[in-house]
Amino acid sequence: MTTENLLIEIGTEELPPKSLRTLAEAFAANIKTELTALELENTDVTWYASPRRLGIKVANLVARQADKIVEKRGPAVKAAFDTDGNATKAAQGWARGCGIDVADAERYETEKGAWLLHKAKVAGKGVDALLPDAISKALAKLPISKPMRWGNSKIQFIRPVHTVTVMFGSNLIQGNILGKDIKNELQGHRFHHPERVSISHADEVESVLKSAYVIADYEERKALVRGQIESVAAKNNAVVAMDEALLEEVTSLVEWPVTLVATFEASFLDVPSEALIYTMKDDQKYFPLLDQDGNLLNKFLFVSNIESKNPEQVIKGNEKVVRPRLADAQFFFETDKKYTLESRLESLDTVLFQKQLGTLKDKSIRISELAAFIATKLGADETKAARAGLLSKTDLMTEMVMEFTDVQGVMGMHYARFDGEDELVAVAQNEQYMPRFSGDNLPSNEISQAVALADKFDSLVGIFGIGQAPKGDKDPFALRRAAIGALRIMVEKELELDILEIVAKSQELFTDKLTNENVAQDVFDFMLGRFRAWYQDQNIAVDVIQAVLARRPSYPVDFDRRVKAVSHFRSLDSAEALAAANKRVGNILAKNDLVIANKIDETLLSEDAEKALAETVLSFKAKFEQLGQGSYTNKLTQLADIRETVDTFFDNVMVMSDDEAVKLNRLALLNQLRNLFLDIADISVLQ
Amino acid sequence: MQNITQKHNTKTFQGLILALQEYWAEQGCVIAQPLDMQVGAGTFHPFTFLKSIGPEPMASAYVQPCRRPTDGRYGDNPNRLQHYYQFQVVIKPSPENIQQLYLDSLAVIGIDTLTDEVRFVEDNWESPTLGAWGLGWELWLNGMEISQFTYFQQVGGLECSPVTGEITYGLERLAMYIQGVDSIYDLIWTDGPLGTVTYGEIFHQNEVEQSTYNFEHADVPALFTEFDHCESESKKLIEANLPLPAYEQVMKASHAFNLLDARHAISVTERQRYILRVRALSKACAESYYAAREALGFPLCKDNSVTKKGA
Repeated sequence: MTTENLLIEIGTEELPPKSLRTLAEAFAANIKTELTALELENTDVTWYASPRRLGIKVANLVARQADKIVEKRGPAVKAAFDTDGNATKAAQGWARGCGIDVADAERYETEKGAWLLHKAKVAGKGVDALLPDAISKALAKLPISKPMRWGNSKIQFIRPVHTVTVMFGSNLIQGNILGKDIKNELQGHRFHHPERVSISHADEVESVLKSAYVIADYEERKALVRGQIESVAAKNNAVVAMDEALLEEVTSLVEWPVTLVATFEASFLDVPSEALIYTMKDDQKYFPLLDQDGNLLNKFLFVSNIESKNPEQVIKGNEKVVRPRLADAQFFFETDKKYTLESRLESLDTVLFQKQLGTLKDKSIRISELAAFIATKLGADETKAARAGLLSKTDLMTEMVMEFTDVQGVMGMHYARFDGEDELVAVAQNEQYMPRFSGDNLPSNEISQAVALADKFDSLVGIFGIGQAPKGDKDPFALRRAAIGALRIMVEKELELDILEIVAKSQELFTDKLTNENVAQDVFDFMLGRFRAWYQDQNIAVDVIQAVLARRPSYPVDFDRRVKAVSHFRSLDSAEALAAANKRVGNILAKNDLVIANKIDETLLSEDAEKALAETVLSFKAKFEQLGQGSYTNKLTQLADIRETVDTFFDNVMVMSDDEAVKLNRLALLNQLRNLFLDIADISVLQ
Repeated sequence: MQNITQKHNTKTFQGLILALQEYWAEQGCVIAQPLDMQVGAGTFHPFTFLKSIGPEPMASAYVQPCRRPTDGRYGDNPNRLQHYYQFQVVIKPSPENIQQLYLDSLAVIGIDTLTDEVRFVEDNWESPTLGAWGLGWELWLNGMEISQFTYFQQVGGLECSPVTGEITYGLERLAMYIQGVDSIYDLIWTDGPLGTVTYGEIFHQNEVEQSTYNFEHADVPALFTEFDHCESESKKLIEANLPLPAYEQVMKASHAFNLLDARHAISVTERQRYILRVRALSKACAESYYAAREALGFPLCKDNSVTKKGA
């Protein structure tokens, strides 16, 4: 079968840069699905993309579907002929439908009888007939968040479409997609090559586009941008803190990247670098330059989309844009420094946190007290925690944070230092918001940790306390993130803190504001639920999590130790048998709703197997009492050795003895056995 | 096009406007005059807001003075004004080559796109008070935003079909770049036989006085009363099937709201409610206008192929 490489390109107006990769990948996946459904063999489907095009390349695509034999069953032979052996109407109708005579029909024999059969030979269709429809379907299924219309047309797409190109080797496929006739023409670079370029073979796409000033291959372009940035930075004796998301965005904004360097007045460097960097990156897509020690320089890189006749003019223009923005930042910084953070506390009384829960000043006072409470539990300086908590929201009232909301926290830190606050208090201003996103760093010291936890628990308890728990995708106070953040801090920083205790303290700080009487339980349940999601993300088996959840440990660090112990136990040979035994014991105890003694009466033990089990159980009990709380992995590993004794017991001993006293004593023994495990987790739920 | 560039000195503010007007006139646009009312953007002009509704084609271009009371800086800030100019172009249905038409207009005013970098940067537009949204870009000239470009998808809560293409030039920004000045007030407005006149000479006093009025003197109770009055008047006019005067009341209400905002007279929670009240009025006007045009048989649809509402 002949094969050719296939090229598909949709030429558009400028596509949204942040979703360009996602769209191109989805396009490739959809094309693959369509080709598979059509049984059109090929060796690879790849994509390329630029601001004005989405492209697909299919390697070694077969020219047509294989011919197929399709079996069509007709009426049963009994019903196909009358007593004289003439074909019935049913048989004739079926044969006509197949385009044959009844006499030519084959037979399909089974044990239950025979049927008429026609083996139709269906000729495979060529790609030229199949592709336009397949491509249209693949495009219709793209994940377009806001499809648009343009001009007079009813067609919807991401942005208006100008060209559609489908080349099978050197053959142009005929058809109409997204309202455009397929042509062997591609859009060139908007300014360097405003005319369209024609293409005569699918394999030429990259060279043809390059001649029209378009680097079509996304990864190639990204590597080119990265290389340019690094080399221009090096030439300026500087480094770039590479921001991968920004690099992707810039790659999606240019077809012919040219990296240029620009400068701004060094006097702006007096402003905290975070604010300057934010202005350059987020507003203008610039890459700030740093010196070898990581200090911000008064230089930045930007990636232009043209080879300008006068790059100096493009640089001057960009410098002119950034100057007033940096001047704004500088003005805000100078203005803000006229007031201490402490003096701003009063103004927080004009900002609502939540209608029923009061203002941000109210919240600050609660955070302050709760942070002090947590610090005491951690053996840290409660005065510093209280101070850091009290100031924690004051930077929201500064001009700088009002203008650039993303620098909240970090500006608080700079202003606190300027005010002469303790260094730990200053650092906590920034670290209170950690972790800001999944995988972000955690607060580095106990003061920051106390404030970060206090802020998160205050939101959780407050919002649950007025019955506004998150529902579906409605989580306006980002409580899910707050809960995960709090759990991560307590677990990964190994803080011996009790959720229930912190919640109770927080509840108390809200005085009479909370209306939900079950708030403590609701917050605890919610956090346990987050635990489940968090561990699942770490590929911990669901049954392990359930085994621990059954115990509802309220110290997250303790929860984590149990999860690790059960995970390890689950990998041992005896785990399955012991899980089954635990389940069996659990069932027996549940069925016999009796008062079971706390002690085993050794005089009632008669059989060897039960004596052996009792001895083992009692010795473990003594051993575990000595070990005390914790040491879960150690305990469970030891318990794994109990398996044979348990199995022998069940093989030889009849628990439900006719002698009531013996029966009760055996149940007491099993209860003790089960408690050895239950002390750590409910092993019976392991699969 | 060469001709236009030679005829007008685009290095003056008025030359820039004249060149743009002439260019878009050559493209077939009606060169309309500014609306004689206080509005926050060229989009409020009925030539954009109302005429983008329904199936009838249209093409207009006009300068629109815009009032944004909260942006006033008493004439102290070289980049911010409470009164400034937009140059607005609207064409329905949006032509296939509308991006190129825009780029050609830049060439007319002296921008060489192989020297200066022009870029289409995603920026989707939404106006909560007009119940309108669209998709498009802001235009960057060497990193500076100089225009907005939008394909209207919905206006006054109604689907746009056909779609209107809207281009809004920020005239002061563009002129500052072309003239190479750092302050709006240094812009040359005209340089003619009677001498040079600057933007500052014409408008600086206005910025000082209007900022003072907006922030310090605007009568808050009277503005609240005015807002309520415009709202009830607009509703009454909708009842009377008079969408055009009803819509003028919406624009008045909107300006009253903007002034109240500048006076910090509206709290954050109240703000949202006021926006929704204006939105309800705009939607009612849009529907009433559509019905009125429909009753007339959409007379501007020359081929008489009338498209159904929302289709």
